[in-house]
Amino acid sequence: MLKMLGINKAFNENRVLMDVDFCVKEGEIHALIGENGAGKSTLMNILGGVLPCDSGTITLKGKDVRFLRPRDAMDAGIAFIHQELNLINDLTVYENIFIGRELKTRAGLVDKKEMSRRSSEILKRMGIQLDPGTLVKELDASYKQIVEIARALMMNARLIIMDEPTTSLTDVEIGVVFKLMRTLKSQGVSIIFISHKLGEILSVCDAYTVLRDGHMVHTAPVAGATADELAYHMVGHSVRTEKLHSGMQGGKELLRGENLSGRGFENVTFTLHAGEILGFTGLLGDGRSELFSAVFGVEKLSGGQLWMDGKTVQVHSPRQARALGIGYVPRNRKENGIIKDMSILNNGTLVTLDKYKKLLISGKKQRAAFGTLREKLRIKMEREENLITSLSGGNQQKVVLSKWLAASPKVLIFDNPTQGVDVGAKEDIYDIIVSLAREGVGIVILSSEAQEIIRLCDRVQVMYHGRSMRELGREEMNEYNIMLLATGGGEVKA
Amino acid sequence: MKLIRKMKKWWRTQPLLSVATALLLLVIVQTMVMTFDFTLAFAPEFAFDVKLKAFDSVSAWWQKWTTNWRNILLNNSYVGMIALAMTFVIISGGIDLSVGSTLVAVGAAVMVIINTKEAGILTQLGITGVPAVVIGVALGLLLGFLLGQLNGIVIAKGKVPPFIVTLGTMMIFRSVTQYFMQTRKGAALPTAFKNISKFQLGGNMILPIIYWLVLAVILYIVAKHTVFGRHVYAVGSNERTARLSGINVDRVKRRVYALTGVIVAFAAMVQVARIGSMDYASAGSGYEMDAIASVIIGGTAMSGGSGSIIGTLLGTLTLAVMNNLLTLMGVDPFLREAFKGAIVVAAVLLQRKEK
Repeated sequence: MLKMLGINKAFNENRVLMDVDFCVKEGEIHALIGENGAGKSTLMNILGGVLPCDSGTITLKGKDVRFLRPRDAMDAGIAFIHQELNLINDLTVYENIFIGRELKTRAGLVDKKEMSRRSSEILKRMGIQLDPGTLVKELDASYKQIVEIARALMMNARLIIMDEPTTSLTDVEIGVVFKLMRTLKSQGVSIIFISHKLGEILSVCDAYTVLRDGHMVHTAPVAGATADELAYHMVGHSVRTEKLHSGMQGGKELLRGENLSGRGFENVTFTLHAGEILGFTGLLGDGRSELFSAVFGVEKLSGGQLWMDGKTVQVHSPRQARALGIGYVPRNRKENGIIKDMSILNNGTLVTLDKYKKLLISGKKQRAAFGTLREKLRIKMEREENLITSLSGGNQQKVVLSKWLAASPKVLIFDNPTQGVDVGAKEDIYDIIVSLAREGVGIVILSSEAQEIIRLCDRVQVMYHGRSMRELGREEMNEYNIMLLATGGGEVKA
Repeated sequence: MKLIRKMKKWWRTQPLLSVATALLLLVIVQTMVMTFDFTLAFAPEFAFDVKLKAFDSVSAWWQKWTTNWRNILLNNSYVGMIALAMTFVIISGGIDLSVGSTLVAVGAAVMVIINTKEAGILTQLGITGVPAVVIGVALGLLLGFLLGQLNGIVIAKGKVPPFIVTLGTMMIFRSVTQYFMQTRKGAALPTAFKNISKFQLGGNMILPIIYWLVLAVILYIVAKHTVFGRHVYAVGSNERTARLSGINVDRVKRRVYALTGVIVAFAAMVQVARIGSMDYASAGSGYEMDAIASVIIGGTAMSGGSGSIIGTLLGTLTLAVMNNLLTLMGVDPFLREAFKGAIVVAAVLLQRKEK
């Protein structure tokens, strides 16, 4: 029913989709898979009318279509259910289903009765037991997903795009959503299912298409396929790049966590030595960021024990963590890393302002401290009084790094260190990380990019749903094994 | 052309420029109004007549001009000081509505403590003169600190929005003060206390103005050159990053409100010393809004993270001069608030920076 042929899309010089073909049959659940950055979201945003494509054709039920706005796609019967659900928690189920297209009585008031009745009808057709008068905030995650689907059906959607619908669901809830997907399929509705979880794809989908670096590399029916096969296609024969390990091992133990549990992770154990680069990887919802937020004192640990320098410690705040010699370069630089109203200089010395003062801050000392780091990190900028937002992403990241280096930490945690950073700055940051390790700093890298982990880390723990699946040493560390463990399955191959 | 473009850019990137320009224009108009007599006649035929006002000499004009300015500054010194404190609160991402009530509470407490009549607490203890004034002032500052600290603790530890906390304490502080003061008769204040404001320098009562300006200089340095000042900006701009950088966000917030309490207490004593009494129902009411208006006109963002002490100083002056101008021109007092409101909105419109 849907044919997307020869789709091209570029953001400035950066080509993200190259001659991609993508077809979905009527009443089919079609998986769209690929690594982060492979172009899945871009392709779906083009289909949903969020982005225009540069060239290519889209045919829906034999008719050429062109979507300029999300509204056009909706009118053509395509519903896009985003990963972050678009529901209003303080309204009821039926109000959410009809939001933006409320029914009115002749007097011009909202016709609650009719909306409620039609909502019941839709839910019944979906085979779901749910009172449409319930407030959405009282529903659990799977039922919220169901309300989104009901809304799609109310708009007469014949094709539903579901972007990683299961990441925030428990196994039981996933079962509920899958059952509904099969019901819809039997009614002739097509579903595009974006997921990283290969097991789920094998159990619920009819066909799959793999994107890699903006190319459509493989499409086939699911019947007869194995998880190995899918992982192979996702990773492909990408070019190996040289490994950058610190080359130091067996330094003294710095940080150790045993059976750490908290919100989003469970029973994780790890040890970090001086001069070592330890990786943590996994897919969305694996709990690695939550784990190290807790280690750094941002979140609470509900169980387990932490050692620093051989002594048991409890970290209740980032301030304590800093005093212990732990530094943290967080992910989502804009929200967590930089202070946008402040200058480069003040951002780069924020952690250690206390060091430069008697009563007042000595601008001279502050500049001197930052100047050294600025040279070491090769930060490109005009004047240090300029706002940090005047810098490129890579240089901003280096400034965030410099504020921690100024505190000379013993352990440095990097969460997604090269997020939104261009290629050149990425290599710079890798070099800095490796040289820090050589100086004896213990380094933790959290990343979802398998390549990054393989190039940098001496050891890596692969996480899935809040648990550490296994630790891989240098010999076993390859994209295939990481992908397999991260999707929750299988035995690794050496 | 190039120059115009450069000026345009300067105008957009320097938030203080628009306030400074507005202030300058107002001062020019104000001076003209004091110097010339404008008569505007509409009927029967339109006529616009400008005459020099009658002054005996240039020195008489100069005397009138300076007296007028001294009064402007004197009358706005209390709100001016409070606005300086409010700048810190707003930069930190908060708001303090309780400043007017804190002013009344501290003013009342100090009067009860240092009253020279028999009812005065220190008088009963046999302490009089300068020692009594020193103790009274110290206790007044301490009370201001405690009331501010109370706001800060509930905001930081209780995670209640500052607007709500200080709205509550605004009602509490004034109401409790009125309750305790309803049966007390007026107080007599020692001369040493009155001299806090009334001591004359060069034959002029200008101490409150000096306090205000000195405080502005101190707070300017605190904002720009101390760790605390930098942390206030960091917390207001991005609390999460601040916390992740090891800043004790709760302590920064507590200190901001405590600092405000202390400054308001000081303003309260300066006001009591000058006036000699206090009306517990109305004193300081509306100060919170005037202070907030000054801060906003001075270019501080309500969302926190940016702003300056100099801006607030200019903001207070802008409001003050405008008010004076309206009086000089004989505009109905009921209309003054409307002009104040208009200038607040206009200031924010002018200061929209290009992103």
